[in-house]
Amino acid sequence: MKALIVSEIVDGKLSSGSLEIVSKAEELGLEYQLITIGSEEQPIIGSNSFKQTYLKRSPNSLQYNKIADYISNVITNEQINLVFGSSTYQCRDIIAYLSVDFNSSPVSSVIRFSLENDKVITLNSINGGQQLYKTEIDSSISFLLIRPKSFEPANFELNTDFTTIEVESGNCNVYEIHKEEKAGPQLEDSKVVVSAGRGMVDVANLELINKLSEKLNAAIGGTRAIVDAGWMPYSQQVGQTGKTVKPDVYIACGISGATQHQVGMKDSKFIIAINKDEEAPIFQIADLGIVGDTLTVLPKLIENI
Amino acid sequence: MKIAVCSKQIPDPANEVTYENGLLKRPDEQVLDDTDRYGIELALQLKEKYDAEVTIISMGPKGTLKGVQQALQMGADKALVISDESLSGANALITANVISEVAKLSEADLIIFGTESTDGYSGTVPQQVSRFLNLDCISYVKAVEINSEKVILTRQTLEGSEKVDMPNKCVISVTAGGVEPRYPNFKDIMAAKSKPIEEVNINDLNITAHQNLKFLEIEEVENSKNGQKIIDEGEAYNSIIEKLKELKII
Ligand SMILES: Cc1cc2nc3c(=O)[nH]c(=O)nc-3n(C[C@H](O)[C@H](O)[C@H](O)COP(=O)(O)OP(=O)(O)OC[C@H]3O[C@@H](n4cnc5c(N)ncnc54)[C@H](O)[C@@H]3O)c2cc1C
Ligand SMILES: Nc1ncnc2c1ncn2[C@@H]1O[C@H](COP(=O)(O)O)[C@@H](O)[C@H]1O
Repeated sequence: MKALIVSEIVDGKLSSGSLEIVSKAEELGLEYQLITIGSEEQPIIGSNSFKQTYLKRSPNSLQYNKIADYISNVITNEQINLVFGSSTYQCRDIIAYLSVDFNSSPVSSVIRFSLENDKVITLNSINGGQQLYKTEIDSSISFLLIRPKSFEPANFELNTDFTTIEVESGNCNVYEIHKEEKAGPQLEDSKVVVSAGRGMVDVANLELINKLSEKLNAAIGGTRAIVDAGWMPYSQQVGQTGKTVKPDVYIACGISGATQHQVGMKDSKFIIAINKDEEAPIFQIADLGIVGDTLTVLPKLIENI
Repeated sequence: MKIAVCSKQIPDPANEVTYENGLLKRPDEQVLDDTDRYGIELALQLKEKYDAEVTIISMGPKGTLKGVQQALQMGADKALVISDESLSGANALITANVISEVAKLSEADLIIFGTESTDGYSGTVPQQVSRFLNLDCISYVKAVEINSEKVILTRQTLEGSEKVDMPNKCVISVTAGGVEPRYPNFKDIMAAKSKPIEEVNINDLNITAHQNLKFLEIEEVENSKNGQKIIDEGEAYNSIIEKLKELKII
Protein backbone atom coordinates (compact mmCIF):
# COMPACT_ATOMS: atom_id res chain seq x y z
CA MET A 1 0.00 0.00 0.00
CA LYS A 2 1.11 3.53 -0.74
CA ALA A 3 0.76 5.98 2.07
CA LEU A 4 0.79 9.73 2.52
CA ILE A 5 1.36 11.35 5.90
CA VAL A 6 -0.09 14.85 6.11
CA SER A 7 2.18 16.52 8.64
CA GLU A 8 2.76 19.72 10.52
CA ILE A 9 5.43 21.74 12.20
CA VAL A 10 5.78 22.42 15.91
CA ASP A 11 8.55 24.69 17.18
CA GLY A 12 10.22 24.74 13.78
CA LYS A 13 10.46 20.95 13.53
CA LEU A 14 8.38 18.11 12.21
CA SER A 15 5.76 17.50 14.93
CA SER A 16 6.16 14.47 17.14
CA GLY A 17 2.64 13.40 16.17
CA SER A 18 3.81 13.21 12.56
CA LEU A 19 6.92 11.27 13.58
CA GLU A 20 4.73 8.77 15.41
CA ILE A 21 2.94 7.98 12.16
CA VAL A 22 6.29 7.75 10.36
CA SER A 23 7.48 5.13 12.84
CA LYS A 24 4.31 3.12 12.34
CA ALA A 25 4.67 3.34 8.56
CA GLU A 26 8.27 2.08 8.88
CA GLU A 27 7.19 -0.77 11.11
CA LEU A 28 4.56 -1.87 8.61
CA GLY A 29 6.99 -1.53 5.72
CA LEU A 30 4.74 0.88 3.87
CA GLU A 31 5.89 2.88 0.89
CA TYR A 32 5.23 6.38 2.24
CA GLN A 33 5.92 10.06 1.76
CA LEU A 34 5.18 13.20 3.76
CA ILE A 35 3.54 16.46 2.86
CA THR A 36 3.99 19.07 5.54
CA ILE A 37 1.96 22.26 5.78
CA GLY A 38 3.31 25.34 7.51
CA SER A 39 4.35 28.94 7.22
CA GLU A 40 7.80 28.74 8.82
CA GLU A 41 10.82 30.01 6.93
CA GLN A 42 13.29 27.19 7.48
CA PRO A 43 11.65 24.28 9.18
CA ILE A 44 13.61 21.18 10.06
CA ILE A 45 11.34 18.59 8.53
CA GLY A 46 13.50 16.70 6.02
CA SER A 47 15.10 13.30 6.44
CA ASN A 48 17.20 10.89 4.43
CA SER A 49 14.63 8.23 5.24
CA PHE A 50 11.61 9.69 3.48
CA LYS A 51 10.40 11.99 0.74
CA GLN A 52 9.19 15.28 2.13
CA THR A 53 7.28 18.05 0.35
CA TYR A 54 6.79 21.34 2.16
CA LEU A 55 3.59 23.19 1.27
CA LYS A 56 4.45 26.65 2.41
CA ARG A 57 1.64 29.07 3.01
CA SER A 58 1.94 32.72 3.88
CA PRO A 59 1.47 33.30 7.62
CA ASN A 60 -1.10 35.88 6.57
CA SER A 61 -3.34 33.60 4.60
CA LEU A 62 -5.22 30.44 5.60
CA GLN A 63 -5.96 28.69 2.33
CA TYR A 64 -6.70 25.14 3.36
CA ASN A 65 -8.89 24.67 0.29
CA LYS A 66 -5.96 25.27 -2.02
CA ILE A 67 -3.71 23.11 0.09
CA ALA A 68 -6.28 20.31 -0.08
CA ASP A 69 -6.52 20.76 -3.86
CA TYR A 70 -2.79 20.24 -4.18
CA ILE A 71 -2.78 17.16 -1.95
CA SER A 72 -5.80 15.72 -3.79
CA ASN A 73 -3.79 15.82 -6.98
CA VAL A 74 -0.88 14.02 -5.37
CA ILE A 75 -3.19 11.31 -4.04
CA THR A 76 -4.67 10.77 -7.49
CA ASN A 77 -1.45 11.02 -9.49
CA GLU A 78 0.61 8.83 -7.22
CA GLN A 79 -2.20 6.35 -6.56
CA ILE A 80 -2.04 6.68 -2.83
CA ASN A 81 -4.43 4.52 -0.86
CA LEU A 82 -3.69 5.37 2.77
CA VAL A 83 -3.75 8.94 4.05
CA PHE A 84 -2.77 9.78 7.62
CA GLY A 85 -2.77 12.89 9.74
CA SER A 86 -2.54 13.66 13.46
CA SER A 87 -5.86 14.60 15.04
CA THR A 88 -4.74 18.16 15.55
CA TYR A 89 -6.25 21.39 14.25
CA GLN A 90 -4.58 21.69 10.90
CA CYS A 91 -4.23 18.06 9.87
CA ARG A 92 -7.80 17.35 10.87
CA ASP A 93 -9.10 20.22 8.75
CA ILE A 94 -7.16 19.07 5.72
CA ILE A 95 -8.05 15.38 6.04
CA ALA A 96 -11.70 16.45 6.32
CA TYR A 97 -11.50 18.33 3.00
CA LEU A 98 -9.75 15.42 1.30
CA SER A 99 -12.34 12.94 2.54
CA VAL A 100 -14.97 14.81 0.53
CA ASP A 101 -12.85 14.75 -2.64
CA PHE A 102 -12.48 10.98 -2.45
CA ASN A 103 -15.90 10.19 -0.98
CA SER A 104 -14.37 8.27 1.91
CA SER A 105 -15.29 9.19 5.47
CA PRO A 106 -12.25 9.41 7.76
CA VAL A 107 -11.88 7.62 11.08
CA SER A 108 -11.09 10.10 13.85
CA SER A 109 -9.14 9.59 17.09
CA VAL A 110 -7.49 6.38 15.94
CA ILE A 111 -5.13 4.97 18.56
CA ARG A 112 -4.20 1.73 16.78
CA PHE A 113 -4.59 0.34 13.29
CA SER A 114 -3.57 -2.67 11.28
CA LEU A 115 -3.54 -3.83 7.70
CA GLU A 116 -5.05 -7.23 7.16
CA ASN A 117 -5.15 -8.58 3.60
CA ASP A 118 -5.17 -5.07 2.21
CA LYS A 119 -7.97 -4.09 4.56
CA VAL A 120 -7.51 -1.24 6.99
CA ILE A 121 -8.74 -1.98 10.50
CA THR A 122 -8.80 0.85 13.02
CA LEU A 123 -9.36 1.14 16.74
CA ASN A 124 -10.51 4.41 18.20
CA SER A 125 -11.34 5.06 21.80
CA ILE A 126 -14.88 5.94 22.74
CA ASN A 127 -16.43 6.72 26.03
CA GLY A 128 -13.35 8.43 27.37
CA GLY A 129 -11.18 5.46 26.56
CA GLN A 130 -13.30 2.95 28.45
CA GLN A 131 -14.05 1.15 25.21
CA LEU A 132 -12.37 0.68 21.85
CA TYR A 133 -14.40 0.82 18.67
CA LYS A 134 -13.13 -1.42 15.89
CA THR A 135 -13.83 -0.41 12.30
CA GLU A 136 -12.99 -1.77 8.91
CA ILE A 137 -12.56 0.88 6.24
CA ASP A 138 -14.18 -0.20 3.02
CA SER A 139 -12.73 2.31 0.52
CA SER A 140 -10.03 2.32 -2.08
CA ILE A 141 -8.54 5.33 -0.29
CA SER A 142 -8.61 5.34 3.52
CA PHE A 143 -8.29 8.42 5.72
CA LEU A 144 -7.07 8.04 9.30
CA LEU A 145 -6.69 10.70 11.97
CA ILE A 146 -4.26 9.45 14.59
CA ARG A 147 -4.42 10.65 18.19
CA PRO A 148 -1.04 12.00 19.28
CA LYS A 149 0.87 9.81 21.76
CA SER A 150 -0.51 6.62 20.25
CA PHE A 151 2.91 5.37 19.04
CA GLU A 152 6.55 6.06 19.81
CA PRO A 153 7.83 8.78 17.46
CA ALA A 154 10.50 7.74 14.91
CA ASN A 155 13.94 8.68 16.08
CA PHE A 156 15.20 10.01 12.74
CA GLU A 157 17.78 12.68 12.28
CA LEU A 158 15.94 15.61 10.70
CA ASN A 159 17.43 18.04 8.21
CA THR A 160 16.41 20.74 5.77
CA ASP A 161 16.41 18.50 2.75
CA PHE A 162 12.99 18.70 1.11
CA THR A 163 11.06 20.20 -1.79
CA THR A 164 9.21 23.43 -1.11
CA ILE A 165 6.05 24.45 -2.91
CA GLU A 166 4.63 27.87 -2.18
CA VAL A 167 0.83 27.79 -2.00
CA GLU A 168 -0.88 30.85 -3.42
CA SER A 169 -2.94 32.94 -1.03
CA GLY A 170 -6.68 32.49 -0.67
CA ASN A 171 -9.71 34.35 0.65
CA CYS A 172 -8.92 34.14 4.36
CA ASN A 173 -6.53 36.82 5.55
CA VAL A 174 -4.77 36.34 8.85
CA TYR A 175 -3.49 39.17 11.02
CA GLU A 176 -2.90 40.10 14.67
CA ILE A 177 -1.21 36.77 15.25
CA HIS A 178 -0.74 36.40 18.95
CA LYS A 179 1.57 33.75 20.36
CA GLU A 180 1.65 33.03 24.04
CA GLU A 181 5.03 32.93 25.61
CA LYS A 182 6.25 29.45 26.33
CA ALA A 183 7.88 29.23 29.70
CA GLY A 184 9.08 26.22 31.66
CA PRO A 185 8.74 22.57 30.71
CA GLN A 186 6.27 21.86 27.90
CA LEU A 187 3.25 19.65 28.42
CA GLU A 188 3.91 17.16 25.65
CA ASP A 189 7.40 16.18 26.66
CA SER A 190 7.61 16.75 30.37
CA LYS A 191 8.16 13.80 32.71
CA VAL A 192 5.89 15.27 35.34
CA VAL A 193 2.64 17.16 34.79
CA VAL A 194 0.74 19.01 37.50
CA SER A 195 -2.82 19.72 36.41
CA ALA A 196 -5.50 21.89 37.91
CA GLY A 197 -9.28 21.73 37.78
CA ARG A 198 -12.17 23.67 39.17
CA GLY A 199 -11.39 22.12 42.55
CA MET A 200 -8.61 24.67 42.91
CA VAL A 201 -11.59 26.89 43.80
CA ASP A 202 -10.11 30.21 42.69
CA VAL A 203 -7.67 31.36 40.03
CA ALA A 204 -5.44 32.84 42.75
CA ASN A 205 -4.86 29.35 44.13
CA LEU A 206 -3.09 28.35 40.93
CA GLU A 207 -0.07 29.81 42.69
CA LEU A 208 0.04 26.47 44.53
CA ILE A 209 0.15 24.66 41.19
CA ASN A 210 2.98 26.94 40.03
CA LYS A 211 4.97 26.31 43.18
CA LEU A 212 4.52 22.56 43.09
CA SER A 213 5.46 22.39 39.42
CA GLU A 214 8.60 24.44 40.08
CA LYS A 215 9.67 22.01 42.79
CA LEU A 216 9.06 19.02 40.54
CA ASN A 217 10.27 20.64 37.33
CA ALA A 218 6.84 19.82 35.95
CA ALA A 219 4.72 21.21 33.14
CA ILE A 220 1.35 22.68 34.05
CA GLY A 221 -1.96 21.51 32.58
CA GLY A 222 -5.60 22.18 33.22
CA THR A 223 -9.14 21.08 32.47
CA ARG A 224 -11.34 22.68 29.89
CA ALA A 225 -13.51 24.04 32.69
CA ILE A 226 -10.69 26.26 33.94
CA VAL A 227 -9.43 27.12 30.47
CA ASP A 228 -12.94 28.29 29.54
CA ALA A 229 -13.05 30.27 32.76
CA GLY A 230 -9.89 32.06 31.64
CA TRP A 231 -7.65 30.72 34.42
CA MET A 232 -5.19 29.23 31.96
CA PRO A 233 -4.47 29.55 28.23
CA TYR A 234 -5.89 26.94 25.87
CA SER A 235 -2.40 25.69 25.06
CA GLN A 236 -2.39 24.10 28.52
CA GLN A 237 -5.68 22.24 28.17
CA VAL A 238 -5.41 18.48 28.59
CA GLY A 239 -8.06 16.23 27.09
CA GLN A 240 -10.11 15.35 24.09
CA THR A 241 -10.11 18.86 22.69
CA GLY A 242 -6.73 19.74 24.11
CA LYS A 243 -3.41 17.98 24.46
CA THR A 244 -2.68 14.34 25.10
CA VAL A 245 0.02 13.75 27.67
CA LYS A 246 1.77 10.62 28.83
CA PRO A 247 4.18 11.67 31.57
CA ASP A 248 5.76 9.43 34.20
CA VAL A 249 3.68 11.18 36.85
CA TYR A 250 0.43 13.12 36.43
CA ILE A 251 -0.87 14.97 39.46
CA ALA A 252 -4.56 15.92 39.11
CA CYS A 253 -5.56 18.60 41.59
CA GLY A 254 -9.29 19.24 41.98
CA ILE A 255 -10.18 17.49 38.74
CA SER A 256 -13.38 15.43 38.56
CA GLY A 257 -12.05 13.15 35.81
CA ALA A 258 -14.67 13.62 33.10
CA THR A 259 -14.23 11.17 30.23
CA GLN A 260 -13.13 14.02 27.96
CA HIS A 261 -10.33 14.87 30.38
CA GLN A 262 -9.34 11.24 30.90
CA VAL A 263 -8.72 10.64 27.19
CA GLY A 264 -5.91 13.15 27.35
CA MET A 265 -4.07 11.75 30.38
CA LYS A 266 -5.16 8.27 31.36
CA ASP A 267 -2.10 6.63 29.80
CA SER A 268 0.20 8.51 32.13
CA LYS A 269 2.45 6.00 33.90
CA PHE A 270 1.50 7.02 37.43
CA ILE A 271 -1.55 9.11 38.30
CA ILE A 272 -1.95 10.93 41.59
CA ALA A 273 -5.31 12.59 42.26
CA ILE A 274 -6.38 14.98 44.97
CA ASN A 275 -10.13 15.49 45.19
CA LYS A 276 -12.46 16.06 48.11
CA ASP A 277 -15.19 13.92 46.60
CA GLU A 278 -14.51 10.26 47.30
CA GLU A 279 -16.74 9.29 44.36
CA ALA A 280 -14.98 11.47 41.77
CA PRO A 281 -14.34 9.43 38.58
CA ILE A 282 -10.67 10.46 38.58
CA PHE A 283 -10.10 7.96 41.42
CA GLN A 284 -11.01 5.09 39.10
CA ILE A 285 -7.88 5.71 37.08
CA ALA A 286 -5.64 7.05 39.85
CA ASP A 287 -2.77 4.95 41.17
CA LEU A 288 -2.69 7.05 44.30
CA GLY A 289 -5.84 8.90 45.31
CA ILE A 290 -6.00 11.44 48.10
CA VAL A 291 -9.50 12.23 49.30
CA GLY A 292 -8.94 15.71 50.62
CA ASP A 293 -8.99 19.43 50.07
CA THR A 294 -6.50 20.70 47.50
CA LEU A 295 -6.11 23.87 49.50
CA THR A 296 -4.87 22.03 52.58
CA VAL A 297 -2.97 19.12 50.97
CA LEU A 298 -1.01 21.15 48.40
CA PRO A 299 0.58 23.73 50.78
CA LYS A 300 1.86 20.93 53.03
CA LEU A 301 3.09 18.94 50.07
CA ILE A 302 4.99 21.93 48.67
CA GLU A 303 6.48 22.78 52.03
CA ASN A 304 7.73 19.26 52.68
CA ILE A 305 9.24 18.34 49.33
CA MET B 1 -28.61 38.14 6.55
CA LYS B 2 -29.32 34.47 7.18
CA ILE B 3 -27.41 32.31 9.61
CA ALA B 4 -27.72 28.55 10.01
CA VAL B 5 -26.51 26.83 13.16
CA CYS B 6 -26.04 23.08 12.95
CA SER B 7 -26.89 21.53 16.26
CA LYS B 8 -27.27 18.00 17.34
CA GLN B 9 -29.72 16.25 19.61
CA ILE B 10 -27.80 13.81 21.82
CA PRO B 11 -28.58 11.39 24.65
CA ASP B 12 -28.45 13.23 27.98
CA PRO B 13 -24.72 13.14 28.88
CA ALA B 14 -25.68 12.63 32.53
CA ASN B 15 -26.69 9.07 31.64
CA GLU B 16 -24.38 6.20 30.80
CA VAL B 17 -23.73 5.67 27.08
CA THR B 18 -24.64 2.31 25.60
CA TYR B 19 -24.08 0.86 22.18
CA GLU B 20 -26.05 -1.70 20.22
CA ASN B 21 -24.41 -3.27 17.17
CA GLY B 22 -21.96 -0.43 17.11
CA LEU B 23 -24.65 2.22 17.20
CA LEU B 24 -25.11 4.62 20.07
CA LYS B 25 -28.48 3.94 21.67
CA ARG B 26 -30.60 7.06 21.35
CA PRO B 27 -33.58 7.47 23.65
CA ASP B 28 -36.75 9.11 22.41
CA GLU B 29 -35.94 12.19 24.40
CA GLN B 30 -32.62 13.69 23.41
CA VAL B 31 -31.18 17.01 24.52
CA LEU B 32 -29.32 19.82 22.81
CA ASP B 33 -25.58 19.15 22.70
CA ASP B 34 -23.96 21.67 25.05
CA THR B 35 -21.11 22.23 22.62
CA ASP B 36 -23.61 23.59 20.10
CA ARG B 37 -24.84 26.24 22.55
CA TYR B 38 -21.76 28.38 21.87
CA GLY B 39 -22.51 28.56 18.16
CA ILE B 40 -26.17 29.33 18.83
CA GLU B 41 -25.21 32.07 21.28
CA LEU B 42 -22.81 33.58 18.79
CA ALA B 43 -25.50 33.52 16.09
CA LEU B 44 -27.99 35.17 18.45
CA GLN B 45 -25.53 37.94 19.27
CA LEU B 46 -25.04 38.54 15.55
CA LYS B 47 -28.82 38.56 15.10
CA GLU B 48 -29.18 41.22 17.77
CA LYS B 49 -26.44 43.31 16.23
CA TYR B 50 -27.03 42.89 12.52
CA ASP B 51 -30.65 41.77 12.31
CA ALA B 52 -30.13 38.25 11.03
CA GLU B 53 -32.47 35.29 10.82
CA VAL B 54 -31.22 32.22 12.69
CA THR B 55 -32.17 28.72 11.52
CA ILE B 56 -31.26 25.56 13.41
CA ILE B 57 -30.32 22.56 11.25
CA SER B 58 -30.47 19.21 12.98
CA MET B 59 -30.12 15.71 11.64
CA GLY B 60 -30.97 12.57 13.57
CA PRO B 61 -33.94 10.71 15.04
CA LYS B 62 -36.56 13.34 15.87
CA GLY B 63 -37.95 11.80 19.03
CA THR B 64 -39.62 14.37 21.22
CA LEU B 65 -37.59 17.14 19.55
CA LYS B 66 -36.59 18.36 22.99
CA GLY B 67 -33.09 19.29 21.86
CA VAL B 68 -34.37 21.32 18.92
CA GLN B 69 -36.89 23.03 21.22
CA GLN B 70 -34.02 23.95 23.55
CA ALA B 71 -32.25 25.64 20.65
CA LEU B 72 -35.42 27.56 19.74
CA GLN B 73 -35.87 28.53 23.38
CA MET B 74 -32.48 30.18 23.36
CA GLY B 75 -33.80 32.43 20.59
CA ALA B 76 -33.31 30.82 17.17
CA ASP B 77 -36.14 31.65 14.76
CA LYS B 78 -36.90 28.30 13.21
CA ALA B 79 -35.56 24.82 12.62
CA LEU B 80 -35.00 22.47 9.71
CA VAL B 81 -34.84 18.88 10.85
CA ILE B 82 -33.99 15.81 8.90
CA SER B 83 -34.66 12.37 10.17
CA ASP B 84 -34.71 9.12 8.28
CA GLU B 85 -34.18 5.49 9.13
CA SER B 86 -31.51 5.27 6.42
CA LEU B 87 -29.40 7.84 8.28
CA SER B 88 -29.02 5.73 11.40
CA GLY B 89 -25.29 5.24 11.97
CA ALA B 90 -24.42 7.84 9.33
CA ASN B 91 -20.68 8.49 9.27
CA ALA B 92 -19.23 12.01 9.36
CA LEU B 93 -19.16 12.31 5.58
CA ILE B 94 -22.80 11.30 5.11
CA THR B 95 -23.77 13.68 7.91
CA ALA B 96 -21.84 16.49 6.22
CA ASN B 97 -23.39 15.67 2.86
CA VAL B 98 -26.92 15.83 4.31
CA ILE B 99 -26.21 19.01 6.27
CA SER B 100 -24.73 20.78 3.26
CA GLU B 101 -27.84 19.96 1.22
CA VAL B 102 -30.09 21.26 4.00
CA ALA B 103 -27.89 24.34 4.38
CA LYS B 104 -28.56 25.12 0.72
CA LEU B 105 -32.29 24.97 1.42
CA SER B 106 -31.82 27.34 4.35
CA GLU B 107 -30.14 29.88 2.03
CA ALA B 108 -27.79 30.73 4.87
CA ASP B 109 -24.83 33.04 4.27
CA LEU B 110 -23.02 32.06 7.43
CA ILE B 111 -23.11 28.42 8.55
CA ILE B 112 -22.08 27.83 12.14
CA PHE B 113 -21.01 24.58 13.81
CA GLY B 114 -19.61 23.37 17.09
CA THR B 115 -16.05 22.08 16.92
CA GLU B 116 -16.79 18.55 18.12
CA SER B 117 -20.06 16.92 19.02
CA THR B 118 -20.27 15.34 22.47
CA ASP B 119 -21.44 11.95 21.19
CA GLY B 120 -19.67 11.69 17.82
CA TYR B 121 -16.59 13.91 18.18
CA SER B 122 -15.24 13.31 14.72
CA GLY B 123 -14.59 17.03 14.51
CA THR B 124 -14.68 16.89 10.72
CA VAL B 125 -18.28 17.69 9.79
CA PRO B 126 -17.88 21.51 9.51
CA GLN B 127 -14.87 21.31 7.19
CA GLN B 128 -16.52 18.62 5.11
CA VAL B 129 -19.64 20.74 4.71
CA SER B 130 -17.54 23.66 3.52
CA ARG B 131 -15.87 21.45 0.93
CA PHE B 132 -19.23 20.18 -0.32
CA LEU B 133 -20.42 23.77 -0.65
CA ASN B 134 -17.15 25.10 -2.00
CA LEU B 135 -16.88 27.68 0.77
CA ASP B 136 -14.02 28.63 3.03
CA CYS B 137 -14.06 27.25 6.55
CA ILE B 138 -12.35 28.48 9.67
CA SER B 139 -12.37 26.31 12.79
CA TYR B 140 -12.00 27.11 16.50
CA VAL B 141 -13.66 30.51 16.26
CA LYS B 142 -14.24 32.45 19.48
CA ALA B 143 -15.66 35.78 18.26
CA VAL B 144 -17.25 37.17 15.08
CA GLU B 145 -17.90 40.62 13.67
CA ILE B 146 -19.45 41.36 10.31
CA ASN B 147 -19.20 44.24 7.86
CA SER B 148 -20.69 44.59 4.40
CA GLU B 149 -18.40 42.13 2.62
CA LYS B 150 -16.46 40.34 5.28
CA VAL B 151 -16.71 38.45 8.49
CA ILE B 152 -13.91 39.12 10.92
CA LEU B 153 -13.12 36.27 13.26
CA THR B 154 -10.96 35.69 16.28
CA ARG B 155 -9.78 32.12 16.29
CA GLN B 156 -7.99 30.03 18.83
CA THR B 157 -4.71 28.55 17.65
CA LEU B 158 -2.45 26.01 19.26
CA GLU B 159 -0.14 28.79 20.34
CA GLY B 160 -2.55 31.62 21.10
CA SER B 161 -4.97 33.42 18.83
CA GLU B 162 -5.24 35.22 15.52
CA LYS B 163 -7.71 37.33 13.58
CA VAL B 164 -9.02 36.19 10.23
CA ASP B 165 -11.19 38.00 7.73
CA MET B 166 -13.01 36.15 5.00
CA PRO B 167 -15.97 36.50 2.60
CA ASN B 168 -19.23 36.60 4.52
CA LYS B 169 -20.60 33.54 2.85
CA CYS B 170 -18.64 30.94 4.78
CA VAL B 171 -18.52 28.15 7.33
CA ILE B 172 -17.14 28.44 10.85
CA SER B 173 -16.84 26.10 13.82
CA VAL B 174 -17.13 27.72 17.21
CA THR B 175 -15.27 26.64 20.32
CA ALA B 176 -16.18 27.11 23.97
CA GLY B 177 -14.96 30.03 26.01
CA GLY B 178 -15.62 32.88 23.57
CA VAL B 179 -19.25 33.57 24.45
CA GLU B 180 -21.37 32.52 27.41
CA PRO B 181 -24.53 30.70 26.24
CA ARG B 182 -27.73 32.30 27.55
CA TYR B 183 -30.40 30.59 29.63
CA PRO B 184 -33.93 31.01 28.30
CA ASN B 185 -36.51 32.54 30.64
CA PHE B 186 -40.16 31.53 30.91
CA LYS B 187 -41.19 33.89 28.12
CA ASP B 188 -38.54 32.47 25.75
CA ILE B 189 -39.69 28.95 26.55
CA MET B 190 -43.31 29.79 25.77
CA ALA B 191 -42.37 31.70 22.60
CA ALA B 192 -40.42 28.72 21.27
CA LYS B 193 -43.56 26.60 21.16
CA SER B 194 -44.95 28.49 18.18
CA LYS B 195 -41.72 28.65 16.19
CA PRO B 196 -41.74 26.68 12.94
CA ILE B 197 -39.99 23.31 12.77
CA GLU B 198 -39.87 22.11 9.20
CA GLU B 199 -39.06 18.54 8.23
CA VAL B 200 -36.88 17.97 5.20
CA ASN B 201 -37.38 14.81 3.18
CA ILE B 202 -34.19 12.91 2.46
CA ASN B 203 -35.46 12.04 -1.00
CA ASP B 204 -35.33 15.71 -1.94
CA LEU B 205 -31.60 15.83 -1.25
CA ASN B 206 -28.69 14.86 -3.42
CA ILE B 207 -26.71 12.44 -1.26
CA THR B 208 -23.60 10.91 -2.79
CA ALA B 209 -21.68 9.87 0.33
CA HIS B 210 -21.97 6.27 1.39
CA GLN B 211 -21.19 4.13 4.41
CA ASN B 212 -17.55 3.15 4.00
CA LEU B 213 -16.92 2.40 7.66
CA LYS B 214 -17.90 -1.07 8.77
CA PHE B 215 -18.37 -1.66 12.48
CA LEU B 216 -16.57 -4.78 13.67
CA GLU B 217 -16.74 -4.82 17.45
CA ILE B 218 -16.38 -2.92 20.68
CA GLU B 219 -13.61 -3.96 23.05
CA GLU B 220 -13.76 -3.17 26.73
CA VAL B 221 -10.64 -1.56 28.15
CA GLU B 222 -9.55 -2.70 31.55
CA ASN B 223 -9.52 0.64 33.26
CA SER B 224 -10.02 0.20 36.94
CA LYS B 225 -6.59 0.29 38.45
CA ASN B 226 -7.24 -0.72 41.99
CA GLY B 227 -5.14 2.20 42.99
CA GLN B 228 -4.54 3.14 46.59
CA LYS B 229 -6.99 5.61 48.11
CA ILE B 230 -6.16 7.57 51.24
CA ILE B 231 -8.52 9.82 53.14
CA ASP B 232 -6.62 12.90 54.19
CA GLU B 233 -6.49 13.48 57.89
CA GLY B 234 -3.68 15.95 57.70
CA GLU B 235 -0.80 13.66 56.73
CA ALA B 236 -1.77 12.38 53.28
CA TYR B 237 0.81 14.64 51.63
CA ASN B 238 3.41 12.26 53.06
CA SER B 239 2.19 9.39 50.89
CA ILE B 240 2.60 11.61 47.83
CA ILE B 241 6.16 12.48 48.83
CA GLU B 242 7.02 8.83 49.45
CA LYS B 243 5.61 7.87 46.09
CA LEU B 244 7.51 10.65 44.30
CA LYS B 245 10.70 9.46 45.95
CA GLU B 246 10.01 5.88 44.98
CA LEU B 247 9.46 7.00 41.39
CA LYS B 248 12.72 8.99 41.60
CA ILE B 249 11.01 12.26 40.79
CA ILE B 250 12.50 13.83 43.92
C1 LIG C 1 -17.01 17.72 23.33
C2 LIG C 1 -16.38 17.97 24.67
C3 LIG C 1 -15.00 18.10 24.73
C4 LIG C 1 -14.36 18.32 25.96
N1 LIG C 1 -13.00 18.40 25.99
C5 LIG C 1 -12.39 18.51 27.18
C6 LIG C 1 -10.96 18.54 27.27
O1 LIG C 1 -10.24 18.48 26.27
N2 LIG C 1 -10.40 18.61 28.51
C7 LIG C 1 -11.14 18.69 29.65
O2 LIG C 1 -10.55 18.76 30.74
N3 LIG C 1 -12.47 18.73 29.60
C8 LIG C 1 -13.12 18.63 28.40
N4 LIG C 1 -14.48 18.67 28.37
C9 LIG C 1 -15.21 19.04 29.61
C10 LIG C 1 -15.40 17.90 30.58
O3 LIG C 1 -16.58 17.23 30.25
C11 LIG C 1 -15.54 18.44 32.03
O4 LIG C 1 -16.59 19.37 32.07
C12 LIG C 1 -14.27 19.09 32.58
O5 LIG C 1 -13.15 18.27 32.37
C13 LIG C 1 -14.45 19.34 34.05
O6 LIG C 1 -13.37 20.05 34.57
P1 LIG C 1 -13.02 20.04 36.14
O7 LIG C 1 -12.65 18.67 36.53
O8 LIG C 1 -12.03 21.12 36.35
O9 LIG C 1 -14.35 20.55 36.82
P2 LIG C 1 -15.47 19.78 37.61
O10 LIG C 1 -16.02 18.67 36.82
O11 LIG C 1 -16.39 20.83 38.10
O12 LIG C 1 -14.72 19.12 38.84
C14 LIG C 1 -14.17 19.79 39.90
C15 LIG C 1 -13.74 18.74 40.92
O13 LIG C 1 -13.07 19.38 41.97
C16 LIG C 1 -13.46 18.81 43.20
N5 LIG C 1 -13.27 19.83 44.23
C17 LIG C 1 -13.97 20.97 44.42
N6 LIG C 1 -13.43 21.69 45.41
C18 LIG C 1 -12.37 21.00 45.86
C19 LIG C 1 -11.41 21.23 46.87
N7 LIG C 1 -11.42 22.33 47.63
N8 LIG C 1 -10.45 20.30 47.07
C20 LIG C 1 -10.43 19.16 46.30
N9 LIG C 1 -11.30 18.91 45.33
C21 LIG C 1 -12.26 19.82 45.11
C22 LIG C 1 -14.87 18.37 43.01
O14 LIG C 1 -15.17 17.29 43.88
C23 LIG C 1 -14.89 17.97 41.54
O15 LIG C 1 -14.65 16.59 41.39
C24 LIG C 1 -15.13 18.46 27.15
C25 LIG C 1 -16.52 18.35 27.08
C26 LIG C 1 -17.14 18.11 25.87
C27 LIG C 1 -18.64 17.98 25.84
N1 LIG D 1 -26.50 15.16 13.20
C1 LIG D 1 -26.13 16.44 13.22
N2 LIG D 1 -27.05 17.43 13.09
C2 LIG D 1 -26.67 18.73 13.13
N3 LIG D 1 -25.41 19.13 13.28
C3 LIG D 1 -24.46 18.19 13.42
C4 LIG D 1 -24.76 16.80 13.38
N4 LIG D 1 -23.60 16.11 13.54
C5 LIG D 1 -22.62 17.02 13.65
N5 LIG D 1 -23.13 18.28 13.58
C6 LIG D 1 -22.38 19.55 13.67
O1 LIG D 1 -21.01 19.30 13.44
C7 LIG D 1 -20.22 19.66 14.58
C8 LIG D 1 -19.06 18.70 14.73
O2 LIG D 1 -19.56 17.41 14.94
P1 LIG D 1 -18.67 16.12 14.84
O3 LIG D 1 -18.02 16.15 13.50
O4 LIG D 1 -19.63 15.00 15.03
O5 LIG D 1 -17.67 16.20 15.94
C9 LIG D 1 -21.22 19.65 15.74
O6 LIG D 1 -20.80 20.49 16.78
C10 LIG D 1 -22.48 20.17 15.06
O7 LIG D 1 -22.43 21.59 14.90
